[in-house]
Amino acid sequence: MFSYQKRLQYPVNIKNKDLRMAKLLVTQYGGSNGELAAALRYLNQRVSMPDNIGRALLTDIGTEELGHVEMLQTMIHQLIKDATLDELEEAGLSPHYAEHAKGLFPTDANGVPFTASYFATTGDALADISEDMAAEQKARAVYENLIDLTDDPDVIGPLLWLRQREIVHYARFKELFEYYNKKLKNTNKKVNSDFNNYNNFENMLDMDSNINTPSSIDITNGYLDNMNLDFTNMMMRRMF
Amino acid sequence: MNNNYIYRNNVNLFSPENGYNLGNMFQNLYDQYKDYKPVQLKARSDQERSYLELSRISFAMHEMNLYLDLHPNDQKIQKLFNDYRKMFIDLEKKYEQKYGALTTCSDSLEEMPFNWATTSFPWEGLDV
Repeated sequence: MFSYQKRLQYPVNIKNKDLRMAKLLVTQYGGSNGELAAALRYLNQRVSMPDNIGRALLTDIGTEELGHVEMLQTMIHQLIKDATLDELEEAGLSPHYAEHAKGLFPTDANGVPFTASYFATTGDALADISEDMAAEQKARAVYENLIDLTDDPDVIGPLLWLRQREIVHYARFKELFEYYNKKLKNTNKKVNSDFNNYNNFENMLDMDSNINTPSSIDITNGYLDNMNLDFTNMMMRRMF
Repeated sequence: MNNNYIYRNNVNLFSPENGYNLGNMFQNLYDQYKDYKPVQLKARSDQERSYLELSRISFAMHEMNLYLDLHPNDQKIQKLFNDYRKMFIDLEKKYEQKYGALTTCSDSLEEMPFNWATTSFPWEGLDV
């Protein structure tokens, strides 16, 4: 389950309204490389990670991204809250006002609404983690574009900070990718959440029990082979 | 301890104060954008001072957490994580006694009124 801490991960105190910037910034809320997409992507992908190392990292980064969603919501809210109706119209935000008044709505900078396709989950750990590495790099690039587009220090501060988080997350995902890649190289098996493979990899990769002792990895590799030869029997045991 | 999957990098960390300003506790990962200098966060009141201190320690703890997810046998980082964790629990408790609950586990919720519902939410800024 999840619980809430009533504070921002990093302070946001924007004093001046800026509708132009709010319209651009919204992409890091509801765009394909935005924080909402990141949070939900990781919290969705974590379910099919092959061991607790991957489950832990995707849970913890996904949860942090929810905190970034809150920071973006705060930034957009503070940029638009004092605007008059005339100013909204002038900034091209009358369609937003018609649908949402001064409420938030997750879209990209072109107004394209958030969509579940941003979850980009294949169920293959290496493919999904590659997606996550790319997502962190793309989000970093977009933060840089946004920093280039404003001169308000109240906006630049949190954007610099969020950009730095993308760099740390990228490095952690890269380590996770390398860890799985190394672990799976000898097994020549597809890493996915397929029922049987899932349980095999669970046994093979679980950090708590196996990773510290190379001999136990050998034993589980043997176990894996037996499992595959004995596929039909295993399915029968599962079913009945 | 024999473990092929633990990275043996010598990890150099920023202090919680610097790390929080930068958004990154790990010196080898820090990457500045153009000539933008990170903001040096400063408190404008006692409440902000407590809030900032708690935020720094919480951030340092979280960074150790992400690292430990991948390196669960790194004793040095685990010790730091636990130092920050204990500091955070203490700072959070002191903050909540004075300024109201940050989570619904707070002892401050024994007082009347139920301050979870009466103190401001983060997107509106602190009550100072």
